[in-house]
Amino acid sequence: MQTEATLAQADVSELDLVRRCQAGDTEAFDELVTRYRTRVFSMIYNMVHSEQDAWDLAQDSFVKAWKSIKRFRGRSSFYTWIYRIVMNVTIDWLRKKRVKGGGAEFDDAVELKQIDPASKTVPKADALPYETMQRTEIRARIEKAIAQLSPEHRAVILMKEIEEMQYHEIAETLGCSIGTVMSRLFYARKKLQNLLRDVYENI
Amino acid sequence: MKTFEEKWTAWLDGQLSGRELTEFEASLPDKAAADAERAEAKKLGTLLKRELSAQALTNDEFFSHQVHERIARESASQSRERYAEVSTWWTIRRLLWTGTASLAVFLVFAVFVIRDKNPAEPSQYLTQILNARVDPVVSPNATVSMFEAKEDRVTVLWTEGLQSLPADYAAK
Repeated sequence: MQTEATLAQADVSELDLVRRCQAGDTEAFDELVTRYRTRVFSMIYNMVHSEQDAWDLAQDSFVKAWKSIKRFRGRSSFYTWIYRIVMNVTIDWLRKKRVKGGGAEFDDAVELKQIDPASKTVPKADALPYETMQRTEIRARIEKAIAQLSPEHRAVILMKEIEEMQYHEIAETLGCSIGTVMSRLFYARKKLQNLLRDVYENI
Repeated sequence: MKTFEEKWTAWLDGQLSGRELTEFEASLPDKAAADAERAEAKKLGTLLKRELSAQALTNDEFFSHQVHERIARESASQSRERYAEVSTWWTIRRLLWTGTASLAVFLVFAVFVIRDKNPAEPSQYLTQILNARVDPVVSPNATVSMFEAKEDRVTVLWTEGLQSLPADYAAK
């Protein structure tokens, strides 16, 4: 566990890395990418539910961050700042995808593509252990439920529950008021509770 | 003024305190049902945290490498664009200079042409012509002068020692 001193040191060195990036040092930016790539990728993956798309969107987010790093003034943490970019990129992408798909839910389109036509008739020789299979199913249920939320509601619930961000950090990231964040959380939780009640009540 | 949704969310997340908390809990019609829903929300949070935390990024080094490559590529293309912009600026500046110079030359010529059309100048020419037309054999001491008053629009032709006007002079 990190002490306050090491956290402060981490913040200082992060700010130092940002300053070096602003001076055009790409190695310093590589360091920032290394620090945040997993969290950024994971967050995007939970929003879009596709590894390839999450990879591309995470790439786009980091490239966009590099391009606008000179505008970072250090008023918020670098993490909050890059999350704002990540959320803008991902929410825009989800909206466009929804428009292109004629309003169809995102997960339906992906799910149909991912089903192997032979999967029902030819089971794999090495079957998954029961527990793993159960968790895979649970995860699929969660992803399907999240896919029914609007991009903004997805972002809010994931930032709150997975990233454990504060209301004001989420508001800053999404560029909205704290009241809006709380209101979106209310509706996102209600919907997920309705969709996943049987899952969390039985584990 | 917070809405019910905002207060409810703050209450679920333990963000209400003091008087606000007391007032909100007193306003709930069924405290036991609200507590049960809060417990459900906690379970939901735990489920999401457990199942969705840290999706593994495979090939993380390749990911960084690809970001690095894209930045290098985009920086190069930005430099090219900036160079192109500078070149375009020079061309525009050159065009501007050329245009200004052309205008200046035109204005100089225009001034000369206007000055050439000044009525004072042709009168001198006319005098010379008239002088040339006076036959020195017939009128050796003849002189012809012309005076012009622009303001009055009057021109006076003054001749002296002229024996006769040239046959072809008729002030056509």
